Amino acid sequence: MIGLIARRELLEFIRDRRLFWAGGIILLLLAIALLVGWQQQRTLNAERAAAQQLDYDDWVSQAERHPHDAAHQGMHVFKPEAPLAVVDPGITPYVGSTQWLQAHRQADLKFVPAQDATGLQRFGNLSVAWVLQVLGPLLVIVLGFNAFAAEREQGTLRQLMSIGVTPQRLLLGKALALSVALALLLVPAAVVIAFVSLSGLEAGLQYDTLMRLLVLFAGYAIYLSIFIFLTLAVSGRTSTSRIALMALMAVWITGVILAPRAISDLADRWYPTPSRVEFNNSMDQELSKTYADAWQASFGVSTRWGADLPLNRWGEALQVDDQAGYLVADRHFAELWGAFDKQRQLQEWSGLVFPVLALRSFSMGIAGSDFSAHRDFSLAAEQQRRLMQDLISHDLIHHADVLDHQHFTYKADSTLWKQIPPFDYRLPTMEAVLPANIRSLGILSLALLVSFVLALASVPRRA
Amino acid sequence: MLETHDLCVEYDGAVALQSLNIRVDPGEIYCLLGANGAGKTTLINAFLGFVEPATGSVHVNGLDVSRYPLESKQGAAYIPEQVMLYSVLSGIENLDYFAALATGRRLPKARLMALLVQAGLSEEAASRRISTYSKGMRQKVGIAIALAKGAKALLLDEPTSGLDPSAANEFSLLLRQAASRGVAILTTTHDLFHAKQTGTRIGIMRKGHLLVEFDSVAVSHEELEAAYLEHMRVMQ
Repeated sequence: MIGLIARRELLEFIRDRRLFWAGGIILLLLAIALLVGWQQQRTLNAERAAAQQLDYDDWVSQAERHPHDAAHQGMHVFKPEAPLAVVDPGITPYVGSTQWLQAHRQADLKFVPAQDATGLQRFGNLSVAWVLQVLGPLLVIVLGFNAFAAEREQGTLRQLMSIGVTPQRLLLGKALALSVALALLLVPAAVVIAFVSLSGLEAGLQYDTLMRLLVLFAGYAIYLSIFIFLTLAVSGRTSTSRIALMALMAVWITGVILAPRAISDLADRWYPTPSRVEFNNSMDQELSKTYADAWQASFGVSTRWGADLPLNRWGEALQVDDQAGYLVADRHFAELWGAFDKQRQLQEWSGLVFPVLALRSFSMGIAGSDFSAHRDFSLAAEQQRRLMQDLISHDLIHHADVLDHQHFTYKADSTLWKQIPPFDYRLPTMEAVLPANIRSLGILSLALLVSFVLALASVPRRA
Repeated sequence: MLETHDLCVEYDGAVALQSLNIRVDPGEIYCLLGANGAGKTTLINAFLGFVEPATGSVHVNGLDVSRYPLESKQGAAYIPEQVMLYSVLSGIENLDYFAALATGRRLPKARLMALLVQAGLSEEAASRRISTYSKGMRQKVGIAIALAKGAKALLLDEPTSGLDPSAANEFSLLLRQAASRGVAILTTTHDLFHAKQTGTRIGIMRKGHLLVEFDSVAVSHEELEAAYLEHMRVMQ
């Protein structure tokens, strides 16, 4: 019986051309988003890999020079885009892609794509994820707003109930019809997305990306199912198709367009994060004090790099300076990232009421374009910087000037430069990423259950 | 068979049916007359389980509608004044859909077409979309659904209202054919002529009460009209 109901509904979607027009627009936008994302990613990854190689070549081919000078030149590392950033770019356009590994200071990433974007682009990037998150629910609404309301208006609901069709079966039949209609549109799209995302990847990364895609699709399926039941619930409660459509549009605007911005502002208010200037000032203040204490403890002087400390101990001093600074930087960054995490958690839990928030977090998490991925790269880059600093300090200590007057005449050569390995960053695997995103998936599943119960309670029981 | 025992139905405290006892046996066509608000449609709704009895009981083919809401519907078919069908589907597609939902199995296309033809629809019309159908044609699809279902009880709510005389006559013929197969038919109407012509028994309702019943063979047109008008006058 459920299959029969679904079949008739589908026939109606096809014959009144709703599926063709609404679905066609969505497919067109998905195709454009995928093509643009794929092209950008292919270009960017190639450019970044080439730039990083050039930068490393510059590093190892440096002429003989003082190691600390070399440390100030440092090197640049470039964040590779995760393969699924083509589906969900997440925060990628809003955070930097390049980190300068230089002496003394842990830097944040530079070159933010959104800063180079036009005003129109800043309104929102067209991506596969955006289309599915924002326009996917709209497609469900267009297909299903009159599912019950039209039956009531036309009188067919009375006809159906008179032959013993139960409201529950009617609900499941209509839900199945909407699911099949979406599947007809989105499964072929998913196959194309998978093909594009997996093409050109090495075997290991291909398997990992495929697993991510499957989990990602499951998340989107749950999300769209929530809207299927919400749409049916509203249609079941309202007396006319027009009222159903108006109510659902209000739900869509509130839940998909306005709520994410409002909750984001709320999260920022509840868990405030400092501006870049505030963050740097605060860290600098603590670093000054920490450095002074470390110098006092190690060398018995309070003025850094002053005449009180012999030049042949500057290698040691650099090491003391760095080691003391690492702890301070680690704490400041941990606090900053902790605040971002709390903001994310608040947004995730808001997903119970506004599922798009839980999905957004889940989607960018699984795609590898969320803040965790950004942090993972930043930490790896910082590890590389510290490795470079520690080797150079160690080299300076090893080559300390015993005569105490030729300190700056010491020059290292490529033997030292080559001790710094190329920066070989590997994206976190699916196994590493999944546990952090299970909560979002759980919240989405809970929201699905709630919407199903709501639909069951709203389905008309009397004609 | 259709039967009520001391049936009372209330809407928000207002009495719609009061201690109603009615029985329609297999092969009988019971025509229920009454002004608007007399309770005719409420009685049909009670047989369909759309309204709950405040007291008393409603039975369809021996099954208590309150206790067996789904099972009781399986043996009954309902044809309203305006048979509501899906306008984007053709007559045969509508029949296919409703018959399959009612019986739990899909009938072959040839059988569906035969049922529509039996109900008086041409093959050409059966393949057209419902949006092009007249009211009478829709009712024929309603009859075909009832035939497909093999319903032992037929509930009709003012089925000939708005039909031209020829279509109404055709419809009466279909009802008599159904009754001859042992179907119990309860039909509400404002049309005294149709009631006398089609019914085997005729009842007059007013304000939720069944006032009087006639054997349609024993009562003349004039007597029926006089009785009806008298009861309506009392009401005014």
